[in-house]
Amino acid sequence: MADNAAELVSLTIDGVPLKVPKGTLLVEAAKQIKQEIPVYCYHTKLGPAGLCRVCLVEIEGTPKLQIACNTPVADGMVVRTQNAKVDAGRAMILELLLVNHPLDCPVCDKGGECDLQDYAMAYARGTSDLADPKTSKPKGVDLGPTIVLDEERCVVCQRCVRFDDIIVGDPQLVLKDRGVRDMIATASGDPYRHNFTGNVTELCPVGALTSKTYRFKSRPWDLDRTQTTCTQCSVGCQMFSDVRFGVPLRTMSVEHDDAISDGWLCDRGRYNIGFYDAKERITQPLYKRGDTFMQISWDDAFALWARAITDAIHLSGPQSVGTIGGGRLTNEEAYVAQYLFRALGVNNLDWRAGRQRQATPGSRGGTLADLERANAIVVLGDSPADRAPVLDLRIRKAVKRANATLVRVAPLDVSPVPSIDVVDVAQAAAALPATASSIAVVWDGIDAAAVERLLDALPENVTVRTYITSEQGNARGAETMGMHPRFAPGFAAAENGLDTEAMLAAASDGALAVLSIFGANPALRHPNGPLVRAALAKTPFVVVSELFMTESAKLATLVLPAKGAFEKNGTTLNATGDALPVNASLQAPEGVLSDLEMLVGLAEQLGVNLPAQEAVHAAVIEAIAQAPAFDLGDHAFRTRAAQAATIPADGLRVAVHSNVFAGDGTSAHDERIVALRPLAEALLSTDDAKVYGVSSGDRIDLEAGGLTLHNLSVAVRAGIARGTLVLVDGLATAPANSFAPGAVVRVVHVRKGDSTLVEA
Amino acid sequence: MPVVKVLTDGIGEVDLRSIDVYRSRGGYVQWERAVRDLTPAAVLEYADKSGLRGRGGAGFPTGKKWSFLPGNDKPRYLVCNCDEAEPGTFKDHMLLEFTPHLVLEGILLGAYGIGSHHAFIYIRGEFKEGYRIFTQALEAARAAGFVGKNIFGSGYDLEVTVHRGAGAYICGEETALLNSLEGKRGEPRLKPPFPAVAGLYGMPTVVNNVETLAYLVPILKNGWEWFAAVGTERSKGYKVVSISGHVQRPGNYEVPVGTPVRELIEIAGGLRPGRTFKAVQPGGGSSACIFDEHLDLPYDYESMAKAGSMMGSGAFVVFDDTTDFVKAAYNLVRFFAHESCGQCTPCREGGHWLEAVLERFVHGRGLRSDLDMLKRVSSTITGLNLCALGDSIEPFLKSVINRFPEQFEGKLIKETVTA
Amino acid sequence: MMRKRLYNIGAILQGLGITFKFMFRRQPTVPYPSVMKQHAPRFHGLHELRRYADGKERCIGCELCSSACPANAITVIGAENAPEDRRSPGERYAARYEIDELRCIFCGLCEEACPTDAIVLTPRFEMSDYRRGSFIYSKDRLLVPPEAGVGTPPDERPNGIPADLGRVAEVKSTVDIAAGYSATNRGEVLKTHRRGLAG
Repeated sequence: MADNAAELVSLTIDGVPLKVPKGTLLVEAAKQIKQEIPVYCYHTKLGPAGLCRVCLVEIEGTPKLQIACNTPVADGMVVRTQNAKVDAGRAMILELLLVNHPLDCPVCDKGGECDLQDYAMAYARGTSDLADPKTSKPKGVDLGPTIVLDEERCVVCQRCVRFDDIIVGDPQLVLKDRGVRDMIATASGDPYRHNFTGNVTELCPVGALTSKTYRFKSRPWDLDRTQTTCTQCSVGCQMFSDVRFGVPLRTMSVEHDDAISDGWLCDRGRYNIGFYDAKERITQPLYKRGDTFMQISWDDAFALWARAITDAIHLSGPQSVGTIGGGRLTNEEAYVAQYLFRALGVNNLDWRAGRQRQATPGSRGGTLADLERANAIVVLGDSPADRAPVLDLRIRKAVKRANATLVRVAPLDVSPVPSIDVVDVAQAAAALPATASSIAVVWDGIDAAAVERLLDALPENVTVRTYITSEQGNARGAETMGMHPRFAPGFAAAENGLDTEAMLAAASDGALAVLSIFGANPALRHPNGPLVRAALAKTPFVVVSELFMTESAKLATLVLPAKGAFEKNGTTLNATGDALPVNASLQAPEGVLSDLEMLVGLAEQLGVNLPAQEAVHAAVIEAIAQAPAFDLGDHAFRTRAAQAATIPADGLRVAVHSNVFAGDGTSAHDERIVALRPLAEALLSTDDAKVYGVSSGDRIDLEAGGLTLHNLSVAVRAGIARGTLVLVDGLATAPANSFAPGAVVRVVHVRKGDSTLVEA
Repeated sequence: MPVVKVLTDGIGEVDLRSIDVYRSRGGYVQWERAVRDLTPAAVLEYADKSGLRGRGGAGFPTGKKWSFLPGNDKPRYLVCNCDEAEPGTFKDHMLLEFTPHLVLEGILLGAYGIGSHHAFIYIRGEFKEGYRIFTQALEAARAAGFVGKNIFGSGYDLEVTVHRGAGAYICGEETALLNSLEGKRGEPRLKPPFPAVAGLYGMPTVVNNVETLAYLVPILKNGWEWFAAVGTERSKGYKVVSISGHVQRPGNYEVPVGTPVRELIEIAGGLRPGRTFKAVQPGGGSSACIFDEHLDLPYDYESMAKAGSMMGSGAFVVFDDTTDFVKAAYNLVRFFAHESCGQCTPCREGGHWLEAVLERFVHGRGLRSDLDMLKRVSSTITGLNLCALGDSIEPFLKSVINRFPEQFEGKLIKETVTA
Repeated sequence: MMRKRLYNIGAILQGLGITFKFMFRRQPTVPYPSVMKQHAPRFHGLHELRRYADGKERCIGCELCSSACPANAITVIGAENAPEDRRSPGERYAARYEIDELRCIFCGLCEEACPTDAIVLTPRFEMSDYRRGSFIYSKDRLLVPPEAGVGTPPDERPNGIPADLGRVAEVKSTVDIAAGYSATNRGEVLKTHRRGLAG
């Protein structure tokens, strides 16, 4: 539409003359004069379908009423959206839609925000000639782990079907049967399941598709709505949090958030809101005496923490104090954290608690709209489909609608759009079309050497835009705020401290006295699990701020209960560098503090003067405004040499796949998304499955270097390289970091589906 | 009797399924001439100047339809619509089974005329025998070098693909047919874009009826003047009419367009003795009835339209005085409601509602208010639909309600005495 | 002077006359609580939640009463009926239903809003207690006992979905506190009234 904005067409709608770009559909043109045309099947993001026929308008010169959703404007067109003829047509359509629509409104979750209710009030006749019984169809159909379907309420607008096809690219929902008997279902009859299923509940103009988690919980007029930013991954989608009686009941996408979410939410962001009132949540500081935790007051907690830090600095200097974390904090919290520790002379600061090394794409970073317009996209490392789902929708849009070439160098292929899958970055560069004038590189921030080789191999004279998807929502914010051993806020040079790897190494040598971990779980997420466990055990005073007793918290000396994202205010920085507001919509449980409040409490005990709130805001804004000069895979972000990716002769090399639905805290303790969590699976290539004589559903035990991982369910997938075994990151039941990095594992036991045990 | 034998020539006399018999009667001569001597534009000119109009129902001029194809270098396709399912029509069925080579030659000529290298024929699922016969004919033609690569050494390639439907009336609608051919759900597409711009697999496509394409063969043989000389002012040539209903000898009769309606009834043996004429549905299930006063009208596109009906696909159903028009209307509405693909509202809900009400009428339980409701709903849904199926419900129903109101009133529920 | 005195006597006699007149009339006051006064048939008293004759709750947890309530006295939280323990016809029932009777202004709008005639105001008016909290009536006090259910439930399909939630069910009171008050009659009044509206 914007492309030929120069060509304007003038027309008249309801007597109001207006000029709109050529090719604009009438339904969109009418919005410009604030004239609403009712629609069910048409959706701005899905385009016209011409099914519901409710958007009738009268165009001068045509005898029949026309549908506004598929009629482009023409010069001199005279349109009437409201007169007796149009009203009669719309009234007829609504009468017909209501013929078989059940009188369910009092119990329907959509009641109160339903397009059918609204338009029936606005346009329908008040009475009906219907004298026959309505058709009966299945109600409460379990469509999958997230969605319930009421066939009777369906008006067959096919928005859900088209969403799956056009937006997701995974056409699971179809229309079955025909005529008045038609029904929405998955083609295969399998559960409806992908990362974006929740969006169909918002697209559905009636109450046919509803969320399981919100079913009959509330009526829309009861909810208190707050707009905030989703912090579950690094995309930073805008969303509404709808709360009733202090319980978050649902989240909704923000339709006009075109810059970031494009109006969609993934199921993790949408449904992972049930953990705030989980009974496992920590609500009081816990201090470890011997092997057990005892509850202590916040005053005692701050005193103990401050004392440990003062003692450590006094006895062995500031280099014996370390701080890890920041990717789950707000920008303000991360800024204050580094300010406080740097004020004490501590330079051992690092947000990186997992596999990722870099979160800021640097000088060539692009916007999501740029990603959508790229001619070619290279995905290096973890698939964004599972790591930053809504960002992946932009990639799918580029591939499906603009025929962009997608090249993937990833251990696991999870996106449904066609791609060229290669195993090496050199092949990736070769696979790019010669005509591509703009190339987007989407990296997972892990293998710095590989991305550097890729950037070197890209053709010159093309626009390259770079993106990094992060493991934690505000990783880029933490990095920008200076939670980094080499950077102060705004990437200013800082006195060098130890990075996470070095801190852990020092800790396991007994050289670290205090280690504070904010909103991170290195015991589960750091690639070298054995090292983390040894380091935490060796360090005399480990503080962890967490919502739940995570693997790291269990190893801590002091566990501090922290607020979740819906409970605090601040800003966050998403993968593309947009500073976005985080607004509190919930009251935190009593006894729980935000990380900022903890830092303030600690600063008071330590006698450090923190800057005032306004000064923090100003500093955050200034830091974000600094344009970074580096590129992907910069040496400032490297730690140790990347492991050589060779296929082992004997055994399997472990590769890790991150999935936003896996996770240690919020998703593990949320009953609502249990069904969405990936299973404790070992993903194998078809070749390896043959070698080991296993098939999907079998269970295996793995062993490497004396460490074992038991009872993994085997899933055989195409698209995995031979000799590679893929584990999903962040599952407490099967930690992907059970073995040292680059471990070559052996399959020691195989339990077939019929439970017979086979020694491998 | 004006019955002619153009397409039907030889049917019932010789075995036209055999390629040798067909060739011995001048078969594939026009195809060879077209490929060797004529340009596609010349074939198009034949189609255009002959005045040939689509025989599938809409009656759109064939040459004009072809000329809508954009002049780009995208591959273009010809699709032959053999999903004949209009109630009362059985002409394509006969052509496919008894003279498959004529159908094939027509397809070949059509494909050549639009410059296509791949033609498709979509055969209705129930035409099991027709499918078998046509496939055999295609294989024979391929073996003879009429289909495939480098036809007659001219360097022109043409492939023909046979596709069987799965039994849906709606797949006779051209865009639904294209969806079905692509392996998708058989439901009409939103227009624009029209198939000529973005049809099969998004490419420019022409969809023509079996009979339309078959007429290309005699037109090329005898010249467009021969075809244009017959018929009325704007409806030229011949037409195979499927006459059925209350006549003595129902069947397919090939006649010049413009033969009077009365004569068509005579051709089919007239009414049974002692019966009087009530109505004719001249263009299949989708058309309104015409009555006594229309008997002398010529059977062509314009006259039928003027009488409030249409010539359609040439399904000519005769009703005599024994007809229960309530039952007939119910039968047709039930058919359309059952065959509605269900994607657009008026057809899906309206058809079902009308069916339910008419079902009550059939059982003598109609309400007086229903009569108005039937007229109101059926007329309002007409013109609001995505495709023509929804618009097909009204004509017959409206014409018989208006003409025979007493039949409907006789089916009202017996008023019980209430205080 | 004398005339003025006489005038005073006249006034006294007039006043006493009224007194004596009323001494011989029937007393309007009743010795409550041993004697109960009749209420008007439409008296708006304490609420009750009704059931159907088969014991199922009429309330479907739709919250229309709470949104109609001008005093914000009603809180409803819905839930889904478990197939093995179906509380109400249809898919939804009220998991929590609370009325703050101190907030309530007994206007009866909840009754008007109810699509299933579940909530009704009874003539019962005695509700005294010692704590404010006791005036929050929840389902345990609002719901009539199962044997007191009235009316046939809406037509149930095999999957338990009512065909028509909007049908006006016959309303019968379970409270027969005042003689002369006919709940059945009251139901008839309602029905006639609604018929009038519909017609």
